[in-house]
Amino acid sequence: MDKSKIDRSMYQKAKVEASEKEHIAAPASTMLADAWIRLKKNKAAVVALFILIGIILLAIFAPIFSKYSFRDTDYNNVYGLPSAAHIFGADQFGRDLWVRTWMGTRISLMIALVAAILDLVVGVLYGAVSALFGGKVDAVMQRIIEVLVGIPSLIIVILFLMAFPAGVGTIIAALSITGWVNMARLVRAEILKLKNQEFVLASQVLGTSKFNIIMKDLIPNTVSVIVINVMFTIPSAIFTEAFLSFIGIGLAEPQASLGVLINGGYQVLRMYPHVLIFPAIVIVLIMVCFSILGDGLRDALDPQMRK
Amino acid sequence: MHSNRKGDVMLKYVLKRLGYILVTLWVIVTCTFFMMKNLPGTPFDAERFSIMTPQQQERVLEMYGLNDSLPMQYVKYIKNMLKGDLGTSFTYVNQDVSKVITGRLGPSALIGIQAVLIGLAIGLILGILAAWKHNSGIDYFTMILAVLGVSVPNFVAAALLQYYIGLKWGALPVGFWTGWNCSVLPSIALSFSATAMVARFMRTEMLDVLDQDYIVTARAKGLSQMKVLMRHAVRNSILPVVTILGPIVVNLMTGSLAVENIFSIPGIGSLFVDCIKANDYPVIMGITIFYAAFYMLIVLLVDLAYSLIDPRIRLAKGKES
Amino acid sequence: MKMMKAAVALGMALTMTVTGASAVFAEGESLSVATDFEIKTLVPWAASEENAFLVLNQAEEGLFRMDENNQPQPALCDTYEVSDDKLTYTFHLRDGIQWSNGEPVTAADFVYAWLKQMSADATNGYSFIMTDYIVNGQEYNEGSVEASEVGVKAVDDQTLEVQLKSPTPYFLNLTTMDMFFPVNEAFCEEQGTNFALSPDSMLYCGPYVITDYDPAVGVTFAKNDNYWDKDSVAVEDAQVRVIKDAAAALSAYQAGELSQVKLDSANVAAYKDDPEFSQEIDFRTSYVQFNLTDDVMSNVNMRKAISLAMNRSALTDNILADGSAPGFGLVADGMSGDGEKTFRELNGDVSPYDPEQAKEYYDKAVEELGSAPSEVTLLVADDSVSKSVATFIQSELVTTLGLNVVIDTKTVQGRGELMDANNYQFAVTAWGADYDDAMTYLDLWTNGTPYRGNYNDADYNALISDAKTQTDDAVRLDDMLKAEKKLVEEDAVVAPVYHRGSAVLTKSNVKNLISHPIGVPLEFKYASFE
Repeated sequence: MDKSKIDRSMYQKAKVEASEKEHIAAPASTMLADAWIRLKKNKAAVVALFILIGIILLAIFAPIFSKYSFRDTDYNNVYGLPSAAHIFGADQFGRDLWVRTWMGTRISLMIALVAAILDLVVGVLYGAVSALFGGKVDAVMQRIIEVLVGIPSLIIVILFLMAFPAGVGTIIAALSITGWVNMARLVRAEILKLKNQEFVLASQVLGTSKFNIIMKDLIPNTVSVIVINVMFTIPSAIFTEAFLSFIGIGLAEPQASLGVLINGGYQVLRMYPHVLIFPAIVIVLIMVCFSILGDGLRDALDPQMRK
Repeated sequence: MHSNRKGDVMLKYVLKRLGYILVTLWVIVTCTFFMMKNLPGTPFDAERFSIMTPQQQERVLEMYGLNDSLPMQYVKYIKNMLKGDLGTSFTYVNQDVSKVITGRLGPSALIGIQAVLIGLAIGLILGILAAWKHNSGIDYFTMILAVLGVSVPNFVAAALLQYYIGLKWGALPVGFWTGWNCSVLPSIALSFSATAMVARFMRTEMLDVLDQDYIVTARAKGLSQMKVLMRHAVRNSILPVVTILGPIVVNLMTGSLAVENIFSIPGIGSLFVDCIKANDYPVIMGITIFYAAFYMLIVLLVDLAYSLIDPRIRLAKGKES
Repeated sequence: MKMMKAAVALGMALTMTVTGASAVFAEGESLSVATDFEIKTLVPWAASEENAFLVLNQAEEGLFRMDENNQPQPALCDTYEVSDDKLTYTFHLRDGIQWSNGEPVTAADFVYAWLKQMSADATNGYSFIMTDYIVNGQEYNEGSVEASEVGVKAVDDQTLEVQLKSPTPYFLNLTTMDMFFPVNEAFCEEQGTNFALSPDSMLYCGPYVITDYDPAVGVTFAKNDNYWDKDSVAVEDAQVRVIKDAAAALSAYQAGELSQVKLDSANVAAYKDDPEFSQEIDFRTSYVQFNLTDDVMSNVNMRKAISLAMNRSALTDNILADGSAPGFGLVADGMSGDGEKTFRELNGDVSPYDPEQAKEYYDKAVEELGSAPSEVTLLVADDSVSKSVATFIQSELVTTLGLNVVIDTKTVQGRGELMDANNYQFAVTAWGADYDDAMTYLDLWTNGTPYRGNYNDADYNALISDAKTQTDDAVRLDDMLKAEKKLVEEDAVVAPVYHRGSAVLTKSNVKNLISHPIGVPLEFKYASFE
């Protein structure tokens, strides 16, 4: 009842150094840096990353430093077995499979790279624009997506390849028709979630342009969704090319795509298994590494998803 | 009252989705139609066609409806399609496209269904065991299998399986089709990705469920491990597997293209590749329509099943996959 | 509704597949061979593929049938007469020949089938095989004359009279081909568009009847009890199975599922010394067709250089290695010449390998062209053998001549279309003989079409047309020998690459499974088990 018991004199103003106010106890850590730290703890992912780097380096340098070219024929070494001169052996024309395998890996990786870029540019922008503009723009863009999502992509890719000259360009063009759709949907959903959060509102109030909001506020915050999705797009692009080349409607001789090489090896598996085994191991390694790395990245970027 | 409203929402949703399916089908038919006309070559052996007389060439083109202008051909095709007539095959002389396709459904469906069943059976068992014995040998085995299953390209798996089990070991016939025993290896080859996906998904779901309070309660009540596992954990985690049936079926469809070609199975997948190489336009169109419609209906069914199983999922938003 | 139907169809198909499985191929001693393509049609005037010929040849029969020496022997025809001017053939059919439904085979059945093949209805592209020879055939095809004016008539039920445009020494050989087999008009018209789609919608007059037919699975045969010569048919059951993969076919053979199997090149070395191994050469030549209207290929020295630069033996020995023979001439090895020596032996090597001379011609060509072409584009089909051949040519030309080759792979259809459209520099293509005479090849380069490189040479055409009307066989042969020399050696319009061969394994208990290098590949009729 007696209020006067609490006296102002009981309180003392705390003294905080101005410099201390700004002090941050832990070093500033971006989301990506955090993720990197978490990723490093995942041994399988690190191993996968190193193997991938190794494969990329081999794909770049092995053909350059070999004394054979991927198209040099040697009729005295038809289906030659692996030896010191030809580490992976030779094919039907005595061509060096070591060089041809890494040339094929180059094609696979190139397709992976383009697919990833496409995913990043078209998919991310489409999703972001659709989510941010909302209203009619969103409605129209979503209807387009609804239609595209129903298309079984492999069918369209195959038809596309038959209608236009076979080549890396055609495969990439074919993949680009439907390849980005999933990314656009994911990014849109993520941005819709972010859009109504305070920091975006603040940016808007401060008069930041829409473009800058997309680029500076929203996309960085959707980065985990984007990275994870890219990690799944890449192997599927590599697979699609190899698959099409394998069934004989993708790339063709003398191009040495992994699918072409595996098909060539499959024909002679009974007598000369080495022609199949090496390119098959490389493609399986690439796929497995991307898959493990993708899982690792998901765990690292999105800890709640971790199981 | 309440259930009626829910039924209305459901019906409206299904109708809307069917609408999209029709629009998508129309887009696909149109794109395919014009793209196909760009395919190199004619449906006829060029060497033979070039030595036909002009009258004969014209007759042949007329017979296959290729002498009209392109827009006219398109209009005719759509009209006939709406009547349910997909035309006559160019290479299977005098045979209706729908007959050519249904004639090939059997083997494709057989290996497809078997692959799903194998995938579900092995996948579920592995997933359950892996979650139950978390961080044990079987768990690691399952995880390795799950990674390999989705990352070893199905054509590599099929080629190796055909060679080592079929040819070297001679256990099962490969390369031709005389009935069920020829379908075993292709089904197994096709089931890898399904097994991997199911095992992985089931393991995750189970781990989730095993963490839930009611499991802890059940254990605390003194129920035996087995009872907890079967009565509570498995039952509660098995239903969501339905949601990955969509992607599994899609994988099977692409997989069947490779597997059917490798094992020479007279199914839709090998028919599709053959007809593309032979420029059999009507059959290509027919299979494209068939594949697309099948694919979209499966996705729709899975979405519906999902919403029935898990009421938390609101239909209007659809599923993000 | 649509879904319902589909579901029902699916269910039915599934049960059929499962239940019908074991019944398809009966156990026991049956002759079984494989084909690597689907048997898409058995309609005689629509079928253009070898496997359809293979099936029809067992189930049907023509006036003559090839024997083991590739000579035509009377089949449905009993006796025949040829007029003195060699232009009128009169065939007398055997007594009592029957269709599988018991109806007699008559001369009218031949007339119906032949007219059908000569009409615009024929979509197999084989009309020329009749219209080139039979009076008014071409006119009938173009629709300018009535059927009654065409030179093929049924004088009575057992007599068939054929009028030819010019003397044709190999006309009897032609009648062994499936286009010349009879078709029962009443039955065919009754079946309409269902004709030849299933075993029930066909009638058979050959050694076998078809009991099961699925384009993607194969054909099952049973002995035809109505066949006139059924006593000499020893094998009761036979099959043609579709096995697209060569490795799978080989293992089916090893498992005893096939009586004979073709080996692909990778497996030949391993089986070369096997007692079941044998090699055959087909009358089929793969060659490079130059486009004479192309800037580079219009130079004759360039063409000669390319032809001389190819070490064809290296291709056939090391890469194909399947019994194929190097193409030192256009007309295939073993094709008949003067009766004693083959055409090839008489004319020698008209397209040899000579790298030094090739280099000389190439330098001359470069001088004439002004500069060396930076690259040339070789058009090929996308099957694995064609791709191998193209890769071989590419490497030969770059090593011998220093000429860079870009390979353009297209589907068979796509390649043909580009060639028809005159849109190529040089292309790998092939021609299989339709009958055992050099004319089957040489005739092709008289029409001057882009597909044949736009070759239009008055001297060449004169040689061919003289050979076609010549009644003196020696002069005729000499014309053709000269024509081949001119086409290949002097003008180098084509550069033959190889003659296709095949290496096969045949079970040791199978006797007399005769194969022919042309037209119909196999004869089941004479085969037996030991």
